[in-house]
Amino acid sequence: MKNHTSKLKRFFQDFYLVLVLIFLYAPIATMMVLSFNSSKSRTQWGGFTLDWYTQMFDSSAITAALYNTLLIAFLSAAIATVIGTAAAIGISSMKRIPRTIMMGVNNIPVLNSDIVTGISLMLTFIAFGISLGFKTILLAHISFNIPYVILSVMPKLRQTSKSTYEAAMDLGAGPVQAFFKVVFPDIMPGVLSGFLMAFTMSLDDFIITHFTRGAGINTLSTLIYSEVRRGIKPSMYALSTVIFLTVLTLLLITNFAPENAQKADAAGTGRANGTDGVFGKGGKRLTTQQIQKRKTIKKGLLVAAAFCVVVSVCFSTYKYYLVSHSDELYVYNWGEYIDDSVIEEFEEETGIHVTYDLFETNEEMYPIIEAGAVQYDVVCPSDYMIQKMVENGLLAEINFENVPNISYIDEKYMKQSQSFDPQNRYAVPYCWGTVGILYNTKRIEELGVPAPTKWADLWDPRYDGEILMQDSVRDAFMVALKSLGYSMNTSDVEELREAKDLLIAQKPLVQAYVIDQVRDKMIGGEAAVGVIYSGEMLYIQEEVENLGLDYSLEYVIPEEGTNIWLDAWVIPANAQNKENAEKWINFLCRPDIAKKNFEYITYPTPNKGAFDLLDEELQNNKAVFPDVEKLKNGEVFQYLGDDVDTIYNEFWKEVKAK
Amino acid sequence: MNRLLQKKYLAAPYAVWMTGFTIIPLLMIVYYGLTDKSGAFTLDNVLAIGTAEHVKALVLALGLSFISTVLCLLIAYPLAMILRNRNIGQGSFMVFVFILPMWMNFLLRTLAWQTLLEKNGVINGILSFLHLPNIAIINTPAAIILGMVYNFLPFMVLPLYNVLAKIDNNVLYAARDLGADGLQTFIHVIFPLSIPGVISGITMVFIPALTTFVISNLLGGSKILLIGNVIEQEFTKGSNWNLGSGLSLVLMIFIFISMGLLAKYDKNGEGSTF
Repeated sequence: MKNHTSKLKRFFQDFYLVLVLIFLYAPIATMMVLSFNSSKSRTQWGGFTLDWYTQMFDSSAITAALYNTLLIAFLSAAIATVIGTAAAIGISSMKRIPRTIMMGVNNIPVLNSDIVTGISLMLTFIAFGISLGFKTILLAHISFNIPYVILSVMPKLRQTSKSTYEAAMDLGAGPVQAFFKVVFPDIMPGVLSGFLMAFTMSLDDFIITHFTRGAGINTLSTLIYSEVRRGIKPSMYALSTVIFLTVLTLLLITNFAPENAQKADAAGTGRANGTDGVFGKGGKRLTTQQIQKRKTIKKGLLVAAAFCVVVSVCFSTYKYYLVSHSDELYVYNWGEYIDDSVIEEFEEETGIHVTYDLFETNEEMYPIIEAGAVQYDVVCPSDYMIQKMVENGLLAEINFENVPNISYIDEKYMKQSQSFDPQNRYAVPYCWGTVGILYNTKRIEELGVPAPTKWADLWDPRYDGEILMQDSVRDAFMVALKSLGYSMNTSDVEELREAKDLLIAQKPLVQAYVIDQVRDKMIGGEAAVGVIYSGEMLYIQEEVENLGLDYSLEYVIPEEGTNIWLDAWVIPANAQNKENAEKWINFLCRPDIAKKNFEYITYPTPNKGAFDLLDEELQNNKAVFPDVEKLKNGEVFQYLGDDVDTIYNEFWKEVKAK
Repeated sequence: MNRLLQKKYLAAPYAVWMTGFTIIPLLMIVYYGLTDKSGAFTLDNVLAIGTAEHVKALVLALGLSFISTVLCLLIAYPLAMILRNRNIGQGSFMVFVFILPMWMNFLLRTLAWQTLLEKNGVINGILSFLHLPNIAIINTPAAIILGMVYNFLPFMVLPLYNVLAKIDNNVLYAARDLGADGLQTFIHVIFPLSIPGVISGITMVFIPALTTFVISNLLGGSKILLIGNVIEQEFTKGSNWNLGSGLSLVLMIFIFISMGLLAKYDKNGEGSTF
C-alpha cells in the first residue's frame, strides 16, 4: 500500500517536473522550428528549408557578432571571477559595518534596472573621456558580472573554516600557498558557478551593451535588436538552435560521463550532499581513484577551453592588425537597410575600409551622435530627426561638388526634404515611403465592414479588437490629427488635446500598439486592419502569394493625407573622414547601386536613374510607388522643438495609461 | 588578527572598481534626477511620480510583479522540494537546465512566446485541433505575468533549491521521531529553514519584474503602461533623461527596501541564487 502511494507520488512529481520543463522549453522549441521555416514571417509556416543555416554561416556580420559575444562573455566572466573571488575573501574578513556597506553596494547593479545601469555607465565613460568601443563593453560587463561572482563565492567562504587557513600558515605555508592549497579547493564550486552565471548574464545582456558599445562592435544581442525594425531574420533562430544544441551536448557529456561512475558507487549513500553547489557533485564514498579521474577530466576540459580562447584571441588580434587601414569610413545606418554587396563594392572601388554600424530607432541614434561617443562619418536618420540635428548644430554641410550623382535624385524629393533641410544643404534622400492602412480582405468581409479609405474608419466600433496601431508618439498622433483635418506638425495644444481624446476613445478597439510586428501579425491574420509603413508592401504581397493564404492584404493611403517619410544621408559635424563620407553618398546615388539597394530593401527609392532601370510592372506597383494624386495632402514630419515634444510625450503617456 | 587585516585588502581592487563603475554612475543618475535641462536643482523629476499616469503605471507594475512573484514562489517551491528529495546528486545538471534557456537571446525567447500565444498562434492551433476552447491572453496583463514568470522563474528556483538542499536530512528524521507529520515538519522545520532562499528569490524576481519594459511591450501589446515603460520612454523616445533619472531614483527605494530585507533575513547569504 505504501509502495503504491509513493509510486503515485512519484508519478505526480514526474508529471510536475515535465510540465515545468515544457513551460521553460516551449519557446525554445518554437525558435528551433522557426529556424527551418522558409517564410520569414514569425506566424506562418512556409515549408522546410535549411537556407537560414547556410545564410548564417555565410554572414560575416553574424560570425563577427558571435565571436565578439563569446569573447566578451568569456573575458568579462574570467576577469570578474578573479576580482570577485578576491573581493569576496576580502569582504568576508571585514568587520560587520564595512561588510554590510560593501554587500549593499554590491547588490545595486544586480537589482538596478538595466537601462539605468547602461545609461549611467555611458555617461560616466563620456564624462571621463573614455571612447566607446570594445573595451567599454568589456568594462561594463565586468562591472555587472562581479556582483554575481561575489554572491556565489560568499556562501562557500562561510562554510569553510577559517582555522584551516590559519593551520596551514602555522604549518609553514605562505599566504599564497595556504590560499591555493587550502581555501581555494573549498570555494572552487562557488567560483565556478559564479563564472558560469557571469558568463550567462553577459551573453544575455542587450541594454547595457547597447549604450556602452562603440563603432563596428556588435554582439549577437545588438545585432538582433537592430533587425527589429525589419523583422527578425530566421538565421538568428538558426544560430540560437546551433548554440542550444552545442551547449546541451557539452552539458550531457560533462555531466553524464563522470556521473554514471559516481552513481554506481554512491548508490545507497542517501541523498547526495547538496551543499556542494553547482559543480561539486556529492557522494562521499567515491574512491580516490574516481575522484582523481573526475578531476582530470574537469581539468582537461578547463585547459582545453582556456587554450581555445587564447588561440582565438591571438588569431583575431593578428587578423585585426592585418586589415588595419589608413582610409576609413564609419557608417551608421538602420538594420537591414543596405545590400551587403554594395558595401563590398564600395570598398573595392575606393579602397576605403568601411566600418558599418546599425541603430534601431532615431531616438537611440541621437544621443550617440550628440555625445560624440563614437565619431561616425555618415548617418541615415529620418526627416524630423535631421531637422533636430541641424538645429542643434550636429551636422556638417555636404560639399555637393563631391557628390555629382545628386543629379539622379528626383527633384520632387529634394523639394520634399526642404521641409526639414530648407536649402538642401545637409541631406541626400535615400529611401522614402508613406504610412497607410493595411487590411485583410477576408476579415473585413466577415466583420461586414467596407474597405477602409480614410483614417476616420479606424474609429469604426465594428473593428473591436481588430486594429493594430503604431506604437510611436508622432505616428499615432498623425493618425488622429489627420482624421481631424489638422496638420500632423501642429504644435497647437488644443488640437493636440482633441487628438489625444480621440486616441483614448480608440484604445478599446485597438488590439495592440506595435511597430515592426504589424507585418508578421497581419500576415498571420491576427487583425483586420493595421497602420503600417509602406516599405514592407512588396515583401508582404510576395509572402501572401507564396504562402497561398486564403486572404489578401491590401494597402490604402487614407484620403485625409498621410505622413510621407524620408530617410536621408547626413554627415555629422564631428566626422573625421568627411570626404570619404561624400564618396559614400555619391556611390549610393549611382543608379545601378541604388537599384541594387532598392531590390534588397524594397523601400521606394527617390533615385530617378534607378527607377528608370526597374521593370515596368514594378514601376506601376501602386503600393510601392503611389500616384502623386494620393500624396496630395501628405506631409513630412518636422522637428517641433523639445517643449512641444514634451507635450506630445505627456499626452501619449495619458493615452497609454488609460 | 594581522593576517585578517591583510586579507581585507583583497577587496581593494573591487572597492576601486565599485567606486568607478557603480557609485560614480549612480551619482550621475542622482545628478540628472535632481536637475532640470538647464542644470538647475529641482525636485520636479522625483515628484513627477505623483502624476496620475505615473501612479497608475507604478501601481500596475507593483501589482503585476507581485502576482508574478507569488506565482514563481508557488511554482518553484514544490519544484525545489522535488529536486531536493530526488536522489539526483546532479545539482549541477538541474541548475543547468534552468540556466540554459537564458543562453538563448531574451528578445527571441519573448518573441517566441508571442508566436505561441497569439490568436492564430501555436497554442490555439493545438487547442482547436483538440476541439478545445481557444485562449485569448495575448495583449492582456495575463500574458505579461506569464512572460515575467517565464523569464524570472530560474531566479526563484535556484536559491530555493540551494537552501533546501542544505537542510540536513537528520533534522527531518529528528522531527519525525518527535512525532511531527509531513505537514508539521514542513511548517515548523523545512519552511523556516528555507526563509533566506525565499527572501532572496522574491527579491530576484520582484525587482526585475518591476522594472521590465520589454515583456510588457511584446506580450502586452504596449497597451499596458508599466513604470518600466515610462522610464524607458523618457530615456529612449522622449529624450528626457532628467525625468527618466528622477523616476529611477523613486524605483531605487524599492531596491533599498529589498536590500534591507536581504540583509535582515539572509544574513549569511545562504539563499544566494547560485
